[in-house]
Amino acid sequence: MTVDPNLALLKLQLLFHGIRAGKDLPAPLTNPFGLIHLALPQKVFVSVHLNMNGTESPFTLRRDGGTFLLDIQGSASVPVGWTPPLASYQKRTSSGLLVSDILTVHGDFIAVHPSHQCRFGQSGLSCRYCGSSKELSDHPPFTPRDLVEAIHLVMQEKRCDVVSLSSGHVETPDGGVERLEKWVTEIRKHNNVLISLDLVPPETNDWIDKTYAMGVDALYYDSDFFNPNDESPREFQKHKARQLEALAYAARIFPTGAVLSHLVVGLEPLKDTFESVDLLIDRGVVPVLAYFPPYGGSALRTRWTATPEQVTQVYAHLYERLVRTRINPHWVQQYDVVLTSLEGRFLSSESPRYHLKLKNFYETRVGRAVRFGLASLRRHLRVREVPA
Amino acid sequence: MQVKIDTRPLPIVILSRWWRFPVFALVNYGMYYFYHQPPPDGLSVQGFRALIVFVACVFLWMTQLLPLPVTGLFALIAPSLLGVISLKEAFAFFGADAVFFILGVFILAAALYKSGLSTRMALHLLKSGAKSPKRLVFQVMLTAALLSFIMSEHAVAAMMFPLVVIISKRLSTTPEGSSYSRVLFLAMAWGCVIGGIATMLGGARVPLAVNFLQDRTGQTITFAQWSMGMFPIVVTLFSFCYFLLTRYYPIRILNVMEADTVIDKQLRDCGRPLLEERFLGLLLVCTIIGWIFWGSTTAIMAAISILSVILLFMFRVVKWRQIQENVEWGVILMYGGAIALSQILSSTKAGDWFASTYIVPHLSSPWALIIILSLMTMALTEALSNAAVVAIVVPVGLSIASTVGLDPKVVVYAVASASSMNYVLPMSTPAVAIAYSSGYLKIREVIVPASIMWVVSWATLMLTARFWWPLLGVQIGR
Repeated sequence: MTVDPNLALLKLQLLFHGIRAGKDLPAPLTNPFGLIHLALPQKVFVSVHLNMNGTESPFTLRRDGGTFLLDIQGSASVPVGWTPPLASYQKRTSSGLLVSDILTVHGDFIAVHPSHQCRFGQSGLSCRYCGSSKELSDHPPFTPRDLVEAIHLVMQEKRCDVVSLSSGHVETPDGGVERLEKWVTEIRKHNNVLISLDLVPPETNDWIDKTYAMGVDALYYDSDFFNPNDESPREFQKHKARQLEALAYAARIFPTGAVLSHLVVGLEPLKDTFESVDLLIDRGVVPVLAYFPPYGGSALRTRWTATPEQVTQVYAHLYERLVRTRINPHWVQQYDVVLTSLEGRFLSSESPRYHLKLKNFYETRVGRAVRFGLASLRRHLRVREVPA
Repeated sequence: MQVKIDTRPLPIVILSRWWRFPVFALVNYGMYYFYHQPPPDGLSVQGFRALIVFVACVFLWMTQLLPLPVTGLFALIAPSLLGVISLKEAFAFFGADAVFFILGVFILAAALYKSGLSTRMALHLLKSGAKSPKRLVFQVMLTAALLSFIMSEHAVAAMMFPLVVIISKRLSTTPEGSSYSRVLFLAMAWGCVIGGIATMLGGARVPLAVNFLQDRTGQTITFAQWSMGMFPIVVTLFSFCYFLLTRYYPIRILNVMEADTVIDKQLRDCGRPLLEERFLGLLLVCTIIGWIFWGSTTAIMAAISILSVILLFMFRVVKWRQIQENVEWGVILMYGGAIALSQILSSTKAGDWFASTYIVPHLSSPWALIIILSLMTMALTEALSNAAVVAIVVPVGLSIASTVGLDPKVVVYAVASASSMNYVLPMSTPAVAIAYSSGYLKIREVIVPASIMWVVSWATLMLTARFWWPLLGVQIGR
């Protein structure tokens, strides 16, 4: 019996529980990082980790002829699309590096950590964003040329709109901008994609100007744990104040909706997450609510307090605030490891207005050209060189 | 350079970045519209179209919608596009005597600069100046003025600027020193401006104006005649400028021995003059003598300057690459276009028609014309390149001169000298802009003495025209 579930809740549940593999599934089922790419109805994309401990997940993927079905606790089924793992992951660049050692693809996002591990990697955890089954420290070093080739190989197989580079959250005065400049330059030169950077807020705002001017289209200063009322040490408060200031400034420099900040949902009380969402939106920043529950078996899993059902209200709140404030939510479109702000519409009664039409338009060839063209035009108009 | 992000509302940003395009479209439409209109009575079709191009070029030069040299190129081809003359004829105008004279002068000036001879000359001229603060102001002014006799005033200012900066920094440890530094920068800039009037080498505007005169009337002004005509103006303005600077700005600094140290050090760093420098010095003297005694036309002057340039390379005094980097090639392009445009206005009688229809009926005497031309030139030159002002005003002035009985040479003397008299705004001339770039000057602090200089300059010009030029055979009325 097929059912019509709430797609947002289903995505969250899949992210929380993972999925079991039924019989007769094609091989390889997962990508090199152990993730299965599924397309839920209404183009809701999700990357689910294959739960090897079969008893822990209520979801099972099975094939019925040519159709893939997602069984929910063995009773109801949802027809889903299954996307084979990218063949280009197994290809090699001219220097002999595996594409999967260079980048990870999440929907229309290509995630890259050019030189450093992310914070999860640094703390010894596996990261869903960079690659859940493989520590970044094991990755061989690669050059901008390798990255350009890898992006090219991926884009021959699959349309991707955004390359997201992470500085590895280095605490330098520039926030990691200079470190990433040569990568941005090479990508701009060779690949037709938008570029987003994941950085630490720099000490001064002129670095934000430089970031935009050098060809970056969107910017992440991740907040993660962001309780505005907590009684954290003074250093953390100071850091947070600068973070907010930098985010607010960046929101004036970058196009609307192109300044984003990850908030981890589930590790702090939800009322704090609500406040954090408001705090960011008031500054023109789009919060990206990352529901990354540690995998079953991880020690952190026991500290995870929020179930998918509990966090739905935060996503609904985020979606409603974005629609009302008219901040563009399209920078996170097919992000398949988080529930995107626009997918929050399944949890709210608020109309998505023109956002959905615009999303569909951006997914067309013309829409993509318009989106890219407008981003370049805006930069051309707004960036000015002045004497130092 | 650093980047700044323009965060104003997008429509305003678009307007500020792209306002040129609608204006260009309007200019094009205007030209197209008038191209299809019948010419006014008394003006030929060719003349009318030449006038259309002239008005468009004046607009482009004044607004600087296009870089000046690019407008020059436009002036070269636009008449052909409108069917006034053939392209072959238009391009031939580029080979005017003045263009080659200017080319030679620029190459010689670049050689002076690159060889270090001009710096050495500046340091020697400044050397005895550190005896008192006023004396140093005088020496800076004198050095700037004398060097502007033989080099473009722009190049002199660029060359002296680092020197004056070092001296100022040494003296600016007190508020009195900072205030004094301001005087030094003004002395440098205004010294260049005044010195640039003295000979045909101070800027390329004089050869340009003389070329217009030659083309329109067949008459010329030689190197020596020009310098003689300007002599009282230069002496008067130099003296008054020194008086004004040292009186208007109180000089409270007690001694400037620090400057002496700087100059001595710089001179030591220069070392002994190289053989190339000595040769260049000799060549320059010979060239100037050649211009004075044999430069009866700009063609001969051009030939002399190009001969000097050839000798320069024959004896390997400088390398071509050094010259290539230090010559303002754009000015040469602009001049080529301006000369072509003037020739076309003249040959189609468009200039004469415009002057006789719109200006002459309102002029009561030659004096009225000279007053209007000089005031208009001085006003325009505060905001525009002085060469562009000459390119705009001289052809019109020459067209009117004959009808009101004014010796056309007076137009050249008055307009070309007035176009150098810019003291206030940074965009008026690079020498003033360079002085402002020091950070010691603010327009509000300069505006009063600069305005006084402006008035005195104009009065001096008028008195010279009235009493001195007639002695040289140049009459206001005929």
